[in-house]
Amino acid sequence: MAFVLTVAFLNGCACVISKMINYRCTKVLGTYNGSLVNYVVASVLSLILLAVSSHFHLDLYTAAHTPWWMYLGGAFGIVAFIISMITLSHLKVMESTILLLVGQLTAGILFDTFAFHNINGKKILGILVVAIGIIWDKKVSSQSKSSGE
Amino acid sequence: MYALLTLIAGACQSAMASLNGMLTDYLGMFGMSFVVHFIGGLLLILYMKTVVHEKLRITGMPWYLYSAGFFGIFLVVSSSFCINAVGASFTTCISVTGQLAISAVIDHFGWFGVPKIPFSKKRIPCFILILAGLIIINLS
Repeated sequence: MAFVLTVAFLNGCACVISKMINYRCTKVLGTYNGSLVNYVVASVLSLILLAVSSHFHLDLYTAAHTPWWMYLGGAFGIVAFIISMITLSHLKVMESTILLLVGQLTAGILFDTFAFHNINGKKILGILVVAIGIIWDKKVSSQSKSSGE
Repeated sequence: MYALLTLIAGACQSAMASLNGMLTDYLGMFGMSFVVHFIGGLLLILYMKTVVHEKLRITGMPWYLYSAGFFGIFLVVSSSFCINAVGASFTTCISVTGQLAISAVIDHFGWFGVPKIPFSKKRIPCFILILAGLIIINLS
């Protein structure tokens, strides 16, 4: 359990660093090409890692018998990316951060309920407390940022 | 309208992470990572060619910026692993907590050339509340 929590925490840290790197990529190459770099490099690198880790025996049988809708993850990611490109200039950063979080957690609870079957009242309460803490922190930190300038 | 779209974008991120978790059971973590980035990349190229009409160009950056791809792999692999272990909502909660923590550290010390913003004590109660929520989830 502690290992999973550490990985999830590191995932958050990597998320921030990756956003900073991606932001610099988009400064050099533009919004779309800067993001495309991530996909191209990650595809090639994953393919190499996949080939090496499977000793060059790719299991195409399993790949062909995977339910088709499980392949939609990448598509959802692109939809999220395009939406955020369109909406970002129309919303305050704070608003869009909170809306993204609420959308993520709501869908997360739905997935936990219907796909992973690991939800209960206490867990939802905990998620609400975390969400309130995060939103409160965003308010406080944005105030201290603007007053510090 | 834009608010609703942004909510949907958040839901899409969750959907992506959950589907990736399921896909990992079939293809393994690197297989999943390849499929997700390959399909995402193709769709992005399609969007760039048909909607925004941009020329494709990914060369000419300082070499270290190409580590974006490495982070991309780590992000999908680690989130899939955690979602399969503790579910989508708990993973999101901890991941966002990690984001807040690292951002606070980066701001405080001014790492990576960002403007220095010292950590405000006013944020401590917020962090305690988040921690309390995480403990409640952990106990459930």
